[in-house]
Amino acid sequence: METPVQLKRIMTMTSNRWGFDDLGLGIGLRGTHYAHILSQRPELGFFEILTENYLDTGGRPLHILDQVADCYPIVMHGVSMSIGSTDPIDFDYLAKVKALADRTRARWVSDHICWTGVLGRNTHDLLPLPYTEETLAHSVARIRIVQESLERPLVLENPSTYLEFAASDMPEWEFVARLAEEADCGLLFDVNNVYVSAFNHGFDPVAYIDAIPADRVCQYHLAGHTHKGTHIIDTHSDHVVDPVWELYGHTIRTVGLRATLLEWDADIPPFDVVHREVLKADAWRIQEVANVA
Amino acid sequence: MSPEQRGLATIQRWMQEVVVHQGTIDEAIASAEAEREIPSALLNDVILPSHSLTPSERIGIYHGMYLMRMGEALAADYPVIRHVLGDDAFEELIRDYVARYPSHSYTLNRLGDNLPRFLADRPDWSRGGFLVDLARLELAMTEVFDEAESPALTSEDLGSLNPDLWEDARLEPIAALRVLAFSHAVVPHLEAYHRERPCLKPIKGPSWVVIYRRDYSVLRLELSRAEHDLLCDLVNGIPLGDALSAGMAGADSPRRQARVFSWFRTWVREGLFQRIVAG
Repeated sequence: METPVQLKRIMTMTSNRWGFDDLGLGIGLRGTHYAHILSQRPELGFFEILTENYLDTGGRPLHILDQVADCYPIVMHGVSMSIGSTDPIDFDYLAKVKALADRTRARWVSDHICWTGVLGRNTHDLLPLPYTEETLAHSVARIRIVQESLERPLVLENPSTYLEFAASDMPEWEFVARLAEEADCGLLFDVNNVYVSAFNHGFDPVAYIDAIPADRVCQYHLAGHTHKGTHIIDTHSDHVVDPVWELYGHTIRTVGLRATLLEWDADIPPFDVVHREVLKADAWRIQEVANVA
Repeated sequence: MSPEQRGLATIQRWMQEVVVHQGTIDEAIASAEAEREIPSALLNDVILPSHSLTPSERIGIYHGMYLMRMGEALAADYPVIRHVLGDDAFEELIRDYVARYPSHSYTLNRLGDNLPRFLADRPDWSRGGFLVDLARLELAMTEVFDEAESPALTSEDLGSLNPDLWEDARLEPIAALRVLAFSHAVVPHLEAYHRERPCLKPIKGPSWVVIYRRDYSVLRLELSRAEHDLLCDLVNGIPLGDALSAGMAGADSPRRQARVFSWFRTWVREGLFQRIVAG
């Protein structure tokens, strides 16, 4: 727990422009942990749900979600908005996202800076965009439409990527920063993704972090990954590695404290393992706030 | 549309063709569908190499993950078919299936909705209809899992209906209910999977099952043909008097009548109906 002095320092650090709360530490709500969460009511700041898992079900997942939402703040994280796609926007999908956000009283709604398919098809992958002026203009226009439809700011996450397009005429961090400013949207800053992409593409992750507009950042993501030697895959299947923790500390120093979520989506261990992992972030939060002081 | 937007659209169409192609990454890049968007000779003009990977290897990461992701989604919905086929044959099935029925939805939860139809259209996969039956059973279970929650009819609800109105009254089933008839005994395969027993050989012969949800759990009852036919009548809105009469037709013994009423009580107790509507 933070001391009163540290808390005071936290309060003075830059917040995001929408005043979204620093909800503390959170974990993704996953089916394998339902029973534990409902019976033990673990001490956590919030749960993040995978939006699409709850859109078309009237069964157990939604029943559980309603109970969790009665006890914890919920944030929604989607994978199918396909904000950079050249396909038409799916307004039926957006209406369902909005309805779920209203039902769960979601603090914010996020998705990814990517595209997932074209020609009516969905690859269900977070595919990379060429970072060009035209992609920027195209994405900004769509984000504005989506925000109007959702009647709330959209929060977008920087993706992990495994290739770079020759057509890109700006670095990813510039694209992300300009996208947020020009579309007037929020950012979900995934520290592990920066580490993964920095290794895969050979850029400096600190330069990326330093370029992010702090007042746009609403949430952080942390996760484990799989190092293949020649490249890193963002698998969300392991503990957070030390260099990512270091980058998380740097992010707190430059951006400030934000709701921080640990993603663990493959080979999911018992709840306590995931819980212990996210609690490590507390030490970093306290330490970095003290350093700022 | 500006020239720049056409450029983005072209890149996306090309990348999607490569990512979803069934062959190797080299075959995908050289496929007619991909070549139509961007000639393979221009690959290095589209994707940069990294410190350790070629452009082909880099897009190959996405290509390799596509089928893996589809396979994971379908394995979650069709674990018994995977158990019966084994991993290699299941992977081959997935490859064929998603080429015919790719996802057009924002959710992977309904990716497998066309698997029974796909298997029925493909004698090389259906194993004389056995896999079609298994797929129908597993699909029904996923549908019932996700259906809207309905209130359950209680015996008090039934008792509150004026007895004079019973003959013409109709029962409305809960949404999370599927009544199924098969040409194979499929439930033993489901049980073998859940008990981690070896696969059974397909057993030809009719079988009937109702899949339903109660207290958010997916349950099943095996039925006789007579139970199946009566339940189908009730679910399809045949008035109670007609349905029960048909259920007892040809067997007027008190024992048969008692059995029909016992089925009826079981179905009400299990919560298969949500309301009774006076005719």
